[in-house]
Amino acid sequence: MSDVSVETSTPAEALVDELTWLEDGRRVALRVDEELYPLDAIYGAAYLFVDRCWVYLHRSADKQVEVRLKPKGPTDPAALEALAGELANELLNQVLRVRIGDSTRKIREYYMARAFFSTSTRSSIDQLLAELDQEELAQDDLEISVPWDAPAEREGGGGS
Amino acid sequence: MRTGSLRLQHPRLDADALGPFRFGRMAGKVLLTHDTGEWHLLSEPDFQALLAGELGPDHAEHAALLAKGFVRDGMDAEAVAERFRRKKRWLGMGPHLHVVIATLRCNQSCKYCHASRTDMDRVDTDMSLETAKKVVDTAMQSPSPYIAFEFQGGEPTVNFDVIKFVVEYGREKNRQEGKTLDFSLVTNMTCMDEEKAEWLLANDVLLCTSLDGPQHVHDWNRPWTGKGAGAYDTVMKWISYFNRRYVELGRDPELWHVDALMTTTRKTMDHWREVIDLYVSLGIRNIYLRPLNPFGFITKTWKVVGVDMPEFLRFYEEALDHIIQLNRDGVQIIEGTAALFLQKMLTPDDPNFVDIRSPIGAGTGQIAYNYDGTIFPSDEGRMIDAMGNPMFALGRVGETSIQDAIRHPTVRAMAVASLLDGLPQCHECWNAPYCGVRPLHNYMQAGDLFGQRPNTPKCMQHMGIARMLFERLAADDDGSLARIFQRWTITRPRETPPPATGND
Repeated sequence: MSDVSVETSTPAEALVDELTWLEDGRRVALRVDEELYPLDAIYGAAYLFVDRCWVYLHRSADKQVEVRLKPKGPTDPAALEALAGELANELLNQVLRVRIGDSTRKIREYYMARAFFSTSTRSSIDQLLAELDQEELAQDDLEISVPWDAPAEREGGGGS
Repeated sequence: MRTGSLRLQHPRLDADALGPFRFGRMAGKVLLTHDTGEWHLLSEPDFQALLAGELGPDHAEHAALLAKGFVRDGMDAEAVAERFRRKKRWLGMGPHLHVVIATLRCNQSCKYCHASRTDMDRVDTDMSLETAKKVVDTAMQSPSPYIAFEFQGGEPTVNFDVIKFVVEYGREKNRQEGKTLDFSLVTNMTCMDEEKAEWLLANDVLLCTSLDGPQHVHDWNRPWTGKGAGAYDTVMKWISYFNRRYVELGRDPELWHVDALMTTTRKTMDHWREVIDLYVSLGIRNIYLRPLNPFGFITKTWKVVGVDMPEFLRFYEEALDHIIQLNRDGVQIIEGTAALFLQKMLTPDDPNFVDIRSPIGAGTGQIAYNYDGTIFPSDEGRMIDAMGNPMFALGRVGETSIQDAIRHPTVRAMAVASLLDGLPQCHECWNAPYCGVRPLHNYMQAGDLFGQRPNTPKCMQHMGIARMLFERLAADDDGSLARIFQRWTITRPRETPPPATGND
C-alpha cells in the first residue's frame, strides 16, 4: 500500500474538491493531489483505462501526479472530456477502496488467520444455517434439490 | 487546447464503522461483495448512509448487512472465518483432477482444435501401458481423498487399452488407498463400437462428448476424415445408445447420461437457438456456452472461426435469457458457466472448478499427463508444449513425485499469478469472490503469466457473466428468477452403483 497516510476517522463533512483537466485533441490530462488521492488510488484508477488508452503518469509537482490518457483509437474533444469525467469518478471510487481497505485490514487478517491456521470452530450461526438448509431441502416443494446436472470439472474439457 | 474543471464531492466516510467489502455499481444499485461470497445490493442513498456510518440498527437493511459482515459493530468474526474456510476448503487438498492424454491421434480435424492432434498413423503419440501404470501411481500419491481421472486426447478411444488399464489398475490400487475414484472419458464417439460402449457402461466410466449444434454447424466445426456417416450422425447415434442403455440398466437418467460440451465459433452465432433447442430435445440438462481457447490450431484459424469476447458476450446474454425463459416455461436446462458463478454467489460452498478459483487449480487442483509421461500443471500447459514451448513441464511420471510437482516453481508462479488478492484491479474488484484468472491464457495472449486485466478476454468474460447474473437478480422483484437460479446450484452425487469389478 501507499506510504501516504490516510485519515480514516469519521469526517463530519463531505469533502469537495476540483480537478483540472486539459485536452489537446489527442489526449487529456488531469492533475491529482496526492494528499487527497493516495498513490494507490491513482494507480488503481489509471490502470482501468489501459485497454482503451495509453496511460502516462507524470510527477508534475511535489505531491502531485498528472495522469495523461491518450486513446488508442480515434477521439474528439467531447470524448476526451468524457474520459476526464470517467477518470475523476474512478478516482473517487478508488479513494474509498483504499480507505476501506486500510481500515479493515486487521479484520481481514484476523479472519483469514482463523480460517487457515486454527481448528474449525463451527459457529452457532453456521450450525443454524446448516439446519435451516436441511429443513428447506426436506420440504423442497419446488424440488430444487433435484439437480439437472453436475457441472463439468473445468472449461478445458471436451477438447477431443 | 482546452481546459476545464470537475467539481468532485467525496462521500462522507466513517471507515471504522465498516466491515471489509468490495463494491461496484450496476442496475442502478451498488453491489457489495465479501470475501465469503456474501453480497448485498443497496440503493445509492443507502450506500452513502452506510459509508457515513449512519445506517443504524433501525434501518431496514442493517440486519442483513451485519449478518453478511459488511458492518463492523456486532460482526461475528468467527462466523466470517468459518464461512471463509468453507469457501476455500479445497486449499491444501491436493490435485483431484488428473487428465490423461491417452493419445494425440484423432480422426477429426476440428477447426478450433486446441489439443494439437496428430494423424491416425502417428502411433508414436500413443501412451504405453507402462507409462499408464506410472500415471496411476503418480496420481494416487495425491493427498486428495477424491481422484478423478479424465481421459483426453486426441481421441482417447483410439488407444482404448490404456483407458481399460487405468480404470482397472486404478481400482485395484485404490483397494489400499480408499479414495473416491471417478473416471470420465471425453470422446468424439467416432471410434465407438458396442464392445467399447458396454465395457464403459459396465465400468461406470462417465461420458462427455462434443456436440456443437445441429448437423450443419457440428460438421462444419468438426470435419471427420472417416468414411460412412458424418460426425454429427455418429455422435447422435451414440448419445442415444448410451442414454437408452443407462435406462435399461436401471440408472437414474437425471444422473446417468452422456454429457455434452459445445464450443462457440463464428458458425454458432447465427444458429444459437438451434443449438440450445437441440440440447433440450436430447434431454441434456446442462449446456456449456464456451468461448474458444487460445491454444493449438485456433491460433491459425481464428480469422475464419474466431469470435472476439465482446461479440461472444452479446451472444451469451441472448442465449442466457433464452435459457432462463425456457426455465420459466418448465424446461429443465441450465447454462454451465452461469451455474458455477451462481454456486459461488448463492451457496456457502465453492464448486472447486479448477479454472475459476483463486489461486487457480493448475498443479494444486489438477495435473495433466501427456502420452509420453510428461507431467504438466494443466492440459493447457501440455497444449503449449505441443506448440513447441516446454516451459510448463513439471517432470516425468516415474521420476517426479506428485509432491515435487505440486511444489514445482512453475506451479508456485502460476499460483502467485492467479491469487486475486495480489493482482492489480482484481484485489479490489467486486467480482473477486467469484472469479479466477487463467495465467496460461495470459501467457498465450500477452506473453506473461499476469497480463493486464482490462486487456484480458477472460476478465471481460467472467466480469460480464457475473454482471449479467447480478443485474437479473437485482430486477427479480418477485423472486422467481432466484428460485430458478437456486435450482441451478444444486448438485447431487451420482448414486453409487454396485461395483463393477468387485471388492474381492
